[in-house]
Amino acid sequence: MTARGWAFFLARRLAVLALLLVVVSFAVFSLLYLSPGSVIDTLLGTNPRTPAELSYLTSEYHLNQPFLTQYWIWASQAVRLHFGNSIQTSLPVTSEIRQRLPVSLFLGVYAYILTVLLGVGLGIAAALRRQRLADRGIVGAAIVALSTPAFVSGVFLIYLLGIQVRLFPVAGPGTGFFGELWHLTLPAVALALTATAYLVKHTRAAVIGVLDQDYVTFARARGLTASRVLTGYILRNALIPVVTMSGLILSYVITGAVLVEDTFSLPGIGQLLVQSATAKDLPLIQGVAMVIAVVIVLANLLADVALMAVDPRIRLGRGSR
Amino acid sequence: MSTAVALPAEITGAGRRRRRGSWLISACLVVVGVVVVMAVFGSAIAPQDPNAQNTFFILTRPSGAHWLGTDSLGRDVFSRLIAGARTAFLGPLVIAASSMLLGNLLGLLAGYRGGRTDALIMRWVDLMWAVPGLLLIIVVAGALGSGYWLAVGLLIVLTVPFDTRVVRGVTLEQAPRPYVEAARTLGVPDWRIMLFHIWPNVSPVAIANAFLVFAGSLTSLAGLSFLGLGVAPGTPDWGLMLSEGLQDLFVNPIAVLAPGVMIVLTATSMNLIGDWLQERLSSKGAAR
Amino acid sequence: MTASTTGTVSTADPVLDVTGLRVTRARPGGGADTIVSSVSMSLGAGETIGIVGESGSGKSMTAKAITGLLPPGLTAHGEVRYGGRNLLELREKQWRAVRGREIGMILQDPFTMLNPVVRCGQIIAESLPGEARRAGRAQRRAEVARRLAEVGIRDESVAHRYPFQLSGGMRQRVAIAAALARDPRVLIADEPSTALDVATQREILALIQQIQRAHGMSVIMITHDLRVAFAVCERVYVLYAGSLVEAAPAAELRDEPLHPYSQGLLLSEPPAGHRVRELAVIPGSVPSPDQVAGSCTFAPRCAWAAPQCRQGTPPLAEVELPGVVPGRLSACVRLPEIRAEMMLARERAGREQHQAVAGRAETALISVRDARKVFQQGSRAVTALDGVSLDVGDGESVGIVGESGSGKTTLARLLIGLERATEGQVTIDGIPATDWPALSGGDRRRLRGTVQIVFQDPYSSLNPMRSIGWTLAEAITTHDRRARNVPARVGDLLASVGLPASYAQRKPFALSGGERQRVAIARALAVRPRLLICDEPVSALDVSVQAQILNLLTALRAERRIGYLFITHDLSIVRQITDYLYVMRHGRVVESGPTEGVLTSPRDAYTIKLIESVPGRQALTPRSATTSRE
Repeated sequence: MTARGWAFFLARRLAVLALLLVVVSFAVFSLLYLSPGSVIDTLLGTNPRTPAELSYLTSEYHLNQPFLTQYWIWASQAVRLHFGNSIQTSLPVTSEIRQRLPVSLFLGVYAYILTVLLGVGLGIAAALRRQRLADRGIVGAAIVALSTPAFVSGVFLIYLLGIQVRLFPVAGPGTGFFGELWHLTLPAVALALTATAYLVKHTRAAVIGVLDQDYVTFARARGLTASRVLTGYILRNALIPVVTMSGLILSYVITGAVLVEDTFSLPGIGQLLVQSATAKDLPLIQGVAMVIAVVIVLANLLADVALMAVDPRIRLGRGSR
Repeated sequence: MSTAVALPAEITGAGRRRRRGSWLISACLVVVGVVVVMAVFGSAIAPQDPNAQNTFFILTRPSGAHWLGTDSLGRDVFSRLIAGARTAFLGPLVIAASSMLLGNLLGLLAGYRGGRTDALIMRWVDLMWAVPGLLLIIVVAGALGSGYWLAVGLLIVLTVPFDTRVVRGVTLEQAPRPYVEAARTLGVPDWRIMLFHIWPNVSPVAIANAFLVFAGSLTSLAGLSFLGLGVAPGTPDWGLMLSEGLQDLFVNPIAVLAPGVMIVLTATSMNLIGDWLQERLSSKGAAR
Repeated sequence: MTASTTGTVSTADPVLDVTGLRVTRARPGGGADTIVSSVSMSLGAGETIGIVGESGSGKSMTAKAITGLLPPGLTAHGEVRYGGRNLLELREKQWRAVRGREIGMILQDPFTMLNPVVRCGQIIAESLPGEARRAGRAQRRAEVARRLAEVGIRDESVAHRYPFQLSGGMRQRVAIAAALARDPRVLIADEPSTALDVATQREILALIQQIQRAHGMSVIMITHDLRVAFAVCERVYVLYAGSLVEAAPAAELRDEPLHPYSQGLLLSEPPAGHRVRELAVIPGSVPSPDQVAGSCTFAPRCAWAAPQCRQGTPPLAEVELPGVVPGRLSACVRLPEIRAEMMLARERAGREQHQAVAGRAETALISVRDARKVFQQGSRAVTALDGVSLDVGDGESVGIVGESGSGKTTLARLLIGLERATEGQVTIDGIPATDWPALSGGDRRRLRGTVQIVFQDPYSSLNPMRSIGWTLAEAITTHDRRARNVPARVGDLLASVGLPASYAQRKPFALSGGERQRVAIARALAVRPRLLICDEPVSALDVSVQAQILNLLTALRAERRIGYLFITHDLSIVRQITDYLYVMRHGRVVESGPTEGVLTSPRDAYTIKLIESVPGRQALTPRSATTSRE
């Protein structure tokens, strides 16, 4: 595709995603008004209800203004990453998020790498040894892993590898790169388990689908080496459905992160979200939700770009005869 | 969602395919049956009152009196396990059934009618596709307050798009086929075509999917309860039991591991049954 | 007849010598199914031989066995001698030296044969021999261009394009170039032209012949179409239910088949030159090799079967009868006795039947005037029909001939309300039928009771989850809401298409392709239409089954006095079935007239091209003096 074509494509996708973010932000903002009880009560939390507090909150949150104006004010501040202060701690939301973000990022990336390596690797291995013991074992393990939510696998891992065997630490994020790596291994594995299982299933199905194709037979008929057939034909084509799935994988990783951080007492974004939800700390909820939404949107954009790079039929359209 | 190939028969080996495959499914059915019984009868069949606290017997190991020991409030873990089956089964059942009903209708409409109906429905599906459901529920729970049935309702809203997408996919495959066009040519009305012609070909996937949805909802609801955003505190619930017992993992691990095992066992059984059903239903009727 | 163990031909030193090839498939519970029970043949240098068989004959598996590419679960036994070794004993690593370099193969479907994510130039480059691959980029590109030119592609940009950007014919050429990249001595072509248009088919076959002569290659052509084999091959082997029944030089086989199956196959195809009263039909369908083990494979369906045919498998033996050239082999033990009868049957079947074609009716049942149909595909507009005018009288049999993209299917869909014309008028039985949704319910019902359709693919024409009886009952009750005694009517419908009433309980997967197509016809007849549109109703069926369906359609027309609008790309079929013909191309009618007239003396250049593209065949009757050759 030409450079101009790429530019157009990206611009269109960005526009759609920006629209999505606007919708999400509106929904997130509206939460404040959807919650039962008056807005003021929610914002007060456990603080005393004094006239001083009331007038402070009213001016701070522009409660006299019409709804849309309030949204506009909030949105324009949100874009600059000013989400107000947390009701619980009275600290700026942005600083709370900034404090917690690194741990979650480390965990997320760690888990994602594990997922991709294990998922694709095991999926391919299972497909190439179809119906034999290795395949059956992998498939069976995948189904059990699928049915094991991250918090259950986290608990089991803690018990087996943290208590019985004392191999890994069971709480806290650790310090320094290797310290973090060590501490976050169990959480990352717990997190990766479900997503890996899905990836194994899909990769395996994709590779099996490709193995049966005529173009693989024709490649072998021309005497191409096994490695060329494997890389250029089987993997290349099996990659397409896998990339298609990457958005879903990301969803699982983010979802699981929330559960895992709670289990392993990791001070990350996920735990922050849960704490804020339990305490009904709405400015904090809004801030965290928007940050997560942006991450998801960017990741899906990357996945779309990757899909275009991998499948020329999508890139060039079917019309160019 | 995947209609991928992992089948019970594939796990147990092609050798004596039918016999081996069926023992696994029988085992799954037994597990599910037990859970259903526990869900229906609940405390009635539990040896002790699941909510009875007993400060003298906190965190005891399994013994004759308490088969799985007691938790941090002296409650009998085994009885709580049985009582917890109710929240583990009811919610997912409602979710799977509602989602199947709505998802199939919307999927058929989108796939068969096409055009604007399809575009509208798919826009909504795509929107929901990228959203991690659990997070959405957490955020909403933060605003509206947590609760089991609120979570169930939200999960229905979140699962319908997946069902819709799956059904729409199969419908799109079937709709251009000559047998559908022949029915149209004969004058069969659209609604009849969707329900009596296309849906029988969609049903294997739809039914199998319902089981997968069940398994997924089970784990999601348990996860929410784990975080404290699902059932009310104190309710016997497998997810909640896990979080309650987490800090006591050193003392009475069974109190924590048992509910975890139940979750995995039930979800795995439902997943296997779903995959097996799809294999059986589609190979019986479908030609190619 | 003296027995000879191998099908050796007059060539002294065969390049490839197959003896007793057997292919079996392992059954999951133990034991094995036979796919190919016994094939022996030899291929000389520079020779082209053909393996002809219908689906289920095992011809594709034979090809795959020779190249060691059988799917998992299948094993080959016997001997395939090439270069002094038995190829079946090779290990995978040794195979790589043979495949591509010594024996090349092209597969059937150009649309799935090429890696969709690799550019065409790269596909050819990766197939080149090692030295050429390791050469510099400019040299590689030049070599690729040379290979493409050899298969008739001179446009350099093709090398940069992906397969999905090319037409079927182009893709097949690229595939041929890739298969020949290492200059193999033997090329196996598995149905190389089946998925293509008739005209493209002819080009591809000519290309293969041309390359063969240039390289001095030997070619094994696998096909289900005897006409293709006669046009291209020197020697033909006929395969049925996993074993060879006859082997002969092509011209000899065409003039006089020496096995009832070969004869049946030959007669199932309507002659190109004239119409016959009824096509000779082989009843039943092809069995699996295990079902007919221990007897002549064709005995269950043979008109001349006798008890001796079922006592053991007859060997493929040399025929020594007067008037038969040496080197002809046949597996018919009764040949000396039945030869004369076979000749008589051929003559009778080939007898021309003159059809007095009445002039066209005054008022047409269907009238199409200047129909145009434009499809919007994204930003592009595709014109499927560009001003077509057509008439079909009551009870008339009209044919539409054209290749894919000619608009013939769009026209059919227009007539049954599945598409709406962008411009123009359609009138059916006096009712304006251009815009179906705008009609009243009663008018629509009348239209549906007037025109019905039979589709091409019998495998998706019936709802796989519903029984036959259910499908037919629905057809009856949808049209006639107050229908009574529906089960009896279902039984009648089944009987009218030659199926037993018990089939009503069965589901489609239990029926063969031919049977499913019969059910589709029965369904269309349920509303008692006056016109039946047949959109390529036999192209997806085996040749022997095609004849059954064509005869059925002819008989139904005589019984019920319904008309046909017969859409096909096959000129021999259209000659057999229709009285009046329209030839379509790119959405326009280029020629029309009485079928005989158009096919005997065509006027339009495209029609002439279509007629010439039919793989050449000779008329069958001994009386016929002229031989028309390619």
